[in-house]
Amino acid sequence: MKRLKIKKEHYGYFFIAPFIIGFLIFGLYPVVHTLSLSFTNTTLMKMDADFIGLQNFKRLFADKTFLTAVTNTWELWLMNFIPQMAIAMLLAVWFTSTRLKIKGGGIWRMLFYLPNLMMPAAIAALFFSLFSFYGPVNQFLVRNDLQAEAIDYIRSPATMRGLVVFIQWWLWYGQTTIILMAAMTSISVSLYEAALMDGASGWQSFRFVTLPLIKPVMIYVLVTSLVGGMQMYDIPYLLTDGRGSPANSILTSNILMYMRFRSSQGHIGAASAVGVMVFIMTTIVAMLIFFLLREKKTKSEIKA
Amino acid sequence: MKKVSLVISVLFVLGMLLTACAKPVATEAPVVATEAPVVATEAPVAATEAPAEGKTVLNVWSFTNEIQTMAIAFEKTHPDVDVVYTMIPMTNGEYQTKLMATLGTDQVPDVVALEAAFVKSYVESDFLADLSDLMQYADALKVYPFVYEVGTDPAGVVKAYSYQATPGALFYRRSLAKEYFGTDDPAAIQELLGDMDKYTEAAAVVKEKSAGNTYMVASNGDFMNLFYANRAQPWIVDGKLTVDPMVNKMVETVKIFRDNGYEAKATQWQEGWFAGMNDTLVDAEGNAKQIFSYFLPTWGLPYVLAPNAKSADGAHDTTGDWGVINGPMAYQWGGTWLGAMKETKNMDLAKEFVRFCTLDEENLTNWATGVYTNEYLKAIDPEVPEGQSQAAGDFVGSQVVVEKITAGFDNSDLSKFLGGQNSYGGFAAAAPSVNARLMQGSDDAIQRALNDPLNSYLEGTITLDEMWSLWKDAVRNEFPDLIIE
Repeated sequence: MKRLKIKKEHYGYFFIAPFIIGFLIFGLYPVVHTLSLSFTNTTLMKMDADFIGLQNFKRLFADKTFLTAVTNTWELWLMNFIPQMAIAMLLAVWFTSTRLKIKGGGIWRMLFYLPNLMMPAAIAALFFSLFSFYGPVNQFLVRNDLQAEAIDYIRSPATMRGLVVFIQWWLWYGQTTIILMAAMTSISVSLYEAALMDGASGWQSFRFVTLPLIKPVMIYVLVTSLVGGMQMYDIPYLLTDGRGSPANSILTSNILMYMRFRSSQGHIGAASAVGVMVFIMTTIVAMLIFFLLREKKTKSEIKA
Repeated sequence: MKKVSLVISVLFVLGMLLTACAKPVATEAPVVATEAPVVATEAPVAATEAPAEGKTVLNVWSFTNEIQTMAIAFEKTHPDVDVVYTMIPMTNGEYQTKLMATLGTDQVPDVVALEAAFVKSYVESDFLADLSDLMQYADALKVYPFVYEVGTDPAGVVKAYSYQATPGALFYRRSLAKEYFGTDDPAAIQELLGDMDKYTEAAAVVKEKSAGNTYMVASNGDFMNLFYANRAQPWIVDGKLTVDPMVNKMVETVKIFRDNGYEAKATQWQEGWFAGMNDTLVDAEGNAKQIFSYFLPTWGLPYVLAPNAKSADGAHDTTGDWGVINGPMAYQWGGTWLGAMKETKNMDLAKEFVRFCTLDEENLTNWATGVYTNEYLKAIDPEVPEGQSQAAGDFVGSQVVVEKITAGFDNSDLSKFLGGQNSYGGFAAAAPSVNARLMQGSDDAIQRALNDPLNSYLEGTITLDEMWSLWKDAVRNEFPDLIIE
């Protein structure tokens, strides 16, 4: 019996080994390596590199570019996340509602999710072409007297930011809808029936039954969207010239990082400094969210 | 010099599919993306063939399939060698990234192709081998000095050579020239557009006589290479960012062109820019607009202008209506260089490959005159893909070869495209005055950084001072070690 027990413990290590090894190689090592690179002036075109302390980080704050990139990243994420959550919630409520009983739920779900399957590169190229100075949007608006003359939309910061927000929203609202629908369908129907018996209106059963019960899922959506949002890269990179133009309006932290990496010398040291800052920022915010989540738990425990 | 930017094609195809608009856009034309704002990615497709047994293997990396043609020709004269050719596109910098990442590892290829935008950073680095002993061949073939100057590092060591020379020229519409200036004779037009002030004056004439329906130039991007090539000092002097007066002059000029409506506000490598080439440019209201001239280099003729001269519906065709002159200033644009990596295990063979491709009279002649047809290449290696070939017309870097073959182009298709003007002869006249001594590895990034602030300034959303400070911020972010005042 004793031997068997030891063997079992032994197996345990084997079972967790793939994750631990994978995490050490692909998770921890890159983070540590990036951190160490960020203190050097390493480039890809030179064999040697020097330790330069916090110089890379000082340079980040020497001008407004980095702060612009961080602000943009936050603004673009928030502007797409809030409507995304609101519309996904509305759709999820409609399609899970036992009162409305909308038919063809599967088909609708597929339609919502469809944009997510498209390649960001193709979408960015498509919108770039639609909104170009000699493009169809200008032709349509001018020929129908909706606009006096052609506008160079690609050079308009407001339009480009709006497009990035719209595309991000359009790509991801389906994903969020599906997750929220899954959360809502897992709520027992008897709870809604009880609410109905007590005379709850549609809004009240949403506010006091649905919302509290899907809160953990909403927090999951929030955290994953936040992590994704802080790394926003492909759409803004591909939509204009890959430098966040016009006027740095869609320059995100990750575009800035890539710009340093792909410069003619391949400044990976300086690029790592941006990566480290994004890492720190995301970690702090994620920890804050978890902290707030734990607060709620203790409160309900106290109540109970 | 086919820098195939599939992206641009994809973009247009998508645009057309969605809108079903009748905008004719060339999609087959391999276009150079050096100046184009990069708008989309394609999956980096690396195509490598398996090495043959019993032969010495030479690994060659490039960003187009152009050099593969020469690699196959090389196997004909060197039957004991198997050239393993790897093509990685550079649409979004995949090639540069991949190459940079292999530097200093045992994955490095033997021979690398280097495009104008990044050749200098490699030449300035320690990764390329010294190829100075090939200079004797360059001297014998009278290679245009700017071609090997680009491949020479600051200490005078030559590390890269090119098979082509890419002097720039000005292409103009003959019918429009007749209409506005009473002549389409290249010599007379050169006289009229001989310097930048004359060019600006002529733009005013074109605008007035066409009642604003003909633009002198399609985009402000057309001007960039022209002015950058004529600076008196490089961007970086003693580690310090320096703005040459010629750059100020460029900003002034593009501002005049924008404010006076001499420029069509198109973007290089985008729909409107191509539409002007086949006379199908229409403004948003549907009024037809025309473009008088395009600044394009040697490769611009066979790869950009000629393939785009016919509209997609075939209704418009500007073939035969073009003339070519040196234009207001001498410049060069683009080009592909070849270098050998220092760590290659086959240094002699790598050198021989570079020599064959760039400094071999027979190869250069075959290359420029259309000898390398698909059938020719298939006879050497039956597995050559369909369509792999080199059409006549690429302008080579050797004056000896150029002088020998120029007359042969009198009746070529490209000369017919230019209304009978010998295209090769025009470039031969422009090439000797080109100078590339100021070229530095950081040029491309520094110049790209100016595009966005410059456009904001042209729109009037920022002042000139704000433009310079935004540009300096952008440069600082890509070159942390640079002194910027």
